[in-house]
Amino acid sequence: MILGLDVGGTQTDTVLIEGDQILAAIKIPTGEDLLLTLRTALESILSGVETGEIERMAFSTTLATNAIVEDRLERTGMIISAGPGIDPACFSVGPSFHVVEGCLDHQGFEAVPLDKSSVMEATAKIREAGINTIGITGKFSVRNAAHELQIVDWVKNYFSHVAMGHTVSGGLNFPRRIFTTYLNASLHELHTTFSGALTHILDEKNLHGPRYLLKPDGGTIDLVRSVGSPARTAQSGPAASVMGALALDGCRGATLVLDVGGTTTDMAVVLDGMPLLNPHGVKLGRYKTLIRSIITHSLGTGGDSVIQVKTNGKMTVGPLRNGPPVAFGGAVATPTDALVTLGLLDMGNKGAARVAMEDLGSALGCNAEAAADRVLQQMAETIAQSAGAFVHDINAQPVYTIHQVLNEEKIEPTSVLIMGGPAPHIAPYVEKALGLPCRVPPHYDVANAVGAAVARVTAQVTLQADTERGTVIIPEVGEEHKIDRRFDMDQAIALARETLCRRALIIGARNNSLETSITEKQVFNMIRGYRAVGRNIRLKMTITPGLIPQWKRSL
Amino acid sequence: MISAQRKTGLVFFPAFDWAISPEHPEREERLLYTQDQVMEEGLLDIPGIVEYRVRPAAYEDIQRAHFCVPDESAVTTESHLISAGGCLVAADAVLKGEVESAFALVRPPGHHAMRVVHGNRGFCNINIEAVMIEYIRTHYGVRKVAIVDTDCHHGDGTQDIYWHDPNTLFISIHQDGRTLYPGSGFPNESGGPNAQGKTVNIPLPPQTGEKGFLYTLDELVMPLLEEFKPDIVINSAGQDNHFNDPITNMNFSARGYAILNKRLKPDIAVLEGGYAIENALPYVNVGIIMAMAGMDTSFVKEPNYEKDYRPQSRDVTLNIEQLVEALKDLFLRGGLKKKSYDEGEILERKRDIFYDTDGIQERQNEKIRCCSHCAGAFSISSTASTGQHIMGVHIPMEACPACRKIGLDWFQAGKKGAFRHVYLQDRDRGLYDVA
Repeated sequence: MILGLDVGGTQTDTVLIEGDQILAAIKIPTGEDLLLTLRTALESILSGVETGEIERMAFSTTLATNAIVEDRLERTGMIISAGPGIDPACFSVGPSFHVVEGCLDHQGFEAVPLDKSSVMEATAKIREAGINTIGITGKFSVRNAAHELQIVDWVKNYFSHVAMGHTVSGGLNFPRRIFTTYLNASLHELHTTFSGALTHILDEKNLHGPRYLLKPDGGTIDLVRSVGSPARTAQSGPAASVMGALALDGCRGATLVLDVGGTTTDMAVVLDGMPLLNPHGVKLGRYKTLIRSIITHSLGTGGDSVIQVKTNGKMTVGPLRNGPPVAFGGAVATPTDALVTLGLLDMGNKGAARVAMEDLGSALGCNAEAAADRVLQQMAETIAQSAGAFVHDINAQPVYTIHQVLNEEKIEPTSVLIMGGPAPHIAPYVEKALGLPCRVPPHYDVANAVGAAVARVTAQVTLQADTERGTVIIPEVGEEHKIDRRFDMDQAIALARETLCRRALIIGARNNSLETSITEKQVFNMIRGYRAVGRNIRLKMTITPGLIPQWKRSL
Repeated sequence: MISAQRKTGLVFFPAFDWAISPEHPEREERLLYTQDQVMEEGLLDIPGIVEYRVRPAAYEDIQRAHFCVPDESAVTTESHLISAGGCLVAADAVLKGEVESAFALVRPPGHHAMRVVHGNRGFCNINIEAVMIEYIRTHYGVRKVAIVDTDCHHGDGTQDIYWHDPNTLFISIHQDGRTLYPGSGFPNESGGPNAQGKTVNIPLPPQTGEKGFLYTLDELVMPLLEEFKPDIVINSAGQDNHFNDPITNMNFSARGYAILNKRLKPDIAVLEGGYAIENALPYVNVGIIMAMAGMDTSFVKEPNYEKDYRPQSRDVTLNIEQLVEALKDLFLRGGLKKKSYDEGEILERKRDIFYDTDGIQERQNEKIRCCSHCAGAFSISSTASTGQHIMGVHIPMEACPACRKIGLDWFQAGKKGAFRHVYLQDRDRGLYDVA
């Protein structure tokens, strides 16, 4: 059996899966105390279950996201080496941010050596401020980690935890590397405590199978291993819903996935079972990071959104939420009240919901049913408009080769998959607003928990070989090797594959789900003065988001 | 967080799958390190800097600026169309008001491509600025355009295309043609009979540094622009004046380029040459993008700036001051002796043009109608060592009836001649006829 758990903003869903069957699914309100919520959810789903039979469990939590959004981050010092470009002070983050002298160029050659005295001076200031955690980031450190490693070597004895920039991602983006390093450092203690406490609960419940956390790219990572990069577990909710769509539907063709919740509607595009990934990285709170994620968009329109009618008769649904729907004791009319009034939802105070719709109707000059119908129509139109812009933005992403320009593949969704509480009721309206067939998968109301449960481990490596410099570097795993002048793409691919699989196994993958694919592959001859001096090879290889082989649902 | 003071569009197209030949300076690798630097700086995350996706230009867009021999498909590849198309995307962004200015960071370049195109000259096949300018004129009704070409090589292609156009001010700042390809671009090249003084060449001595470029800009270029009052300013932003450039002898820097751009404030900048791909382009391009966006560029410099940049020598400074003074006399103080022509007089000139990249020899015979009402119709007959023998007739925008008539007459007569192809470029009617 497999256990999946998704902590949402208002509700926490848990499912128990055997083969292709959902054996049990429960929903409980998400409480203030995350561990207590997890414990309660586990206890209620496991009552009467032989826990020894649970071979695997996965969690999508809001721990890191909430800590970032609510600014509950540990005080963290930063030491930065930059060199020419934008003034690094522009990216100052945390209470004690220091730029030291030292610079690498884009090839990784040292342009200015590190200045030890300024590093030690920064260290003293950070320590004086009573800070025990530090992040170290260098410009172009993914091309040569030497400066970051040198700083770590000088300062590591002064701090309880040190986070480095080059292992965050192989991607180029110095400001994002700074912010991601900062988040990894400042979430470290919180996440370590959480991981320890969850481990304790699971041990106590006699749950000994592999334990995973979900990441924003729709992949999982071993609970204990996640401590090395805690920011990577933030913002996993939208990914859980996309993986749920994949598990419950398969998403053949180009599918627009909509998850209609209470506060928001999250959207994503899945192409033949493969979610589209953001090439830069996810934004966590106000921080743009280098953490890979599924491209999702969150629209502030959901079942509990505020409905407003303007003086010109135009209606808006969202983006505000003002307490619960009228049917559940709230003060302001919401789409949920429309569903209750139309008899589509058999919950709450029906009389109160009806009065809310009647009030709305008098502003619109119609009866309660017609008003409720208008509300759902407007909600669907708002979603459709936002989805249109979302798809347009995906298609507007720049490309850099002639091949890509000429073989332009525009993404045009041909169907829509709707999940979340109101899914079956809103689907006909969305179908009309988008002009696309809509379907609702089974277990649409616990899809996120299913997604978390059956998502496989993902990993990525970025390899850059420079035969002029005589090195190949794979920053994600902190590896740099000497190579000779004959090092070529075939060798690069073999090395990347071996490294990627090794890495995936370390962070929790099983041998039967190591499906690798190349996502970027370029080789350039380096010419200096009409003479070839070397080859510059760039390769990205990933284990893309997918489902574990145990999930054998025939779709 | 930082943000752009001016909303700036960026069209980036490094053409990672195109080269003239594997070891040619115009090869796949050229913008690789620029891309690395732009990405690593995180410039595209800065609010107010918007990256646009390229699209290929259509043959129709090229036909407004060129006579391609025998046709567009023979002298262009996809990369040329996309590079020109990148400029059109930049133009749209600016003219639709989505951004205040835009930078087309594209390759291959275009400023050595003349109106008649038999092949590749100076790494260029089609003139991407001219294609863009004529697109802007057609689609946005813009009339007066100023082009400031800051590439190290004389922008002889752009000069050729706008030689007769009084509504285009073409200013080229470059290394003295006696010391560098293409060997032209002297002050006495100042425009055709209907556009006298609308071409301004500023040949700077080798080793001109930051001081000399900025002096020339402040003293000469800015006053010229002020006087001309263009509707739009285009910068052909070649980057080969750089002290690290391997094929030129100038002494400019990333910091200097950034300051130049800040003062010039072009509406659209277009990348031209620049072949110090590792140790100049990454920094110059970052500097230009930041300058366009109105950001602080004081931290932009080459890692070897302190070590290798030499301030301009006194001799060079004196030389430049004399040159600028002489050019001010000619172009700002009315010293240029404008020749007067009879209305309707037909002037002829013969020229030999060499296509260095493709090794083609071309002989041109041009006729222009002197006209005080419009830019004047002209015809070019051209014979090339490829065996081509063609004639192209150009009827300008806002053509007067007499020029329109003579243009059409030339085209009809040409069709009866021994030419292999005869082309008519009728700008007002948006027509390109091939016979």
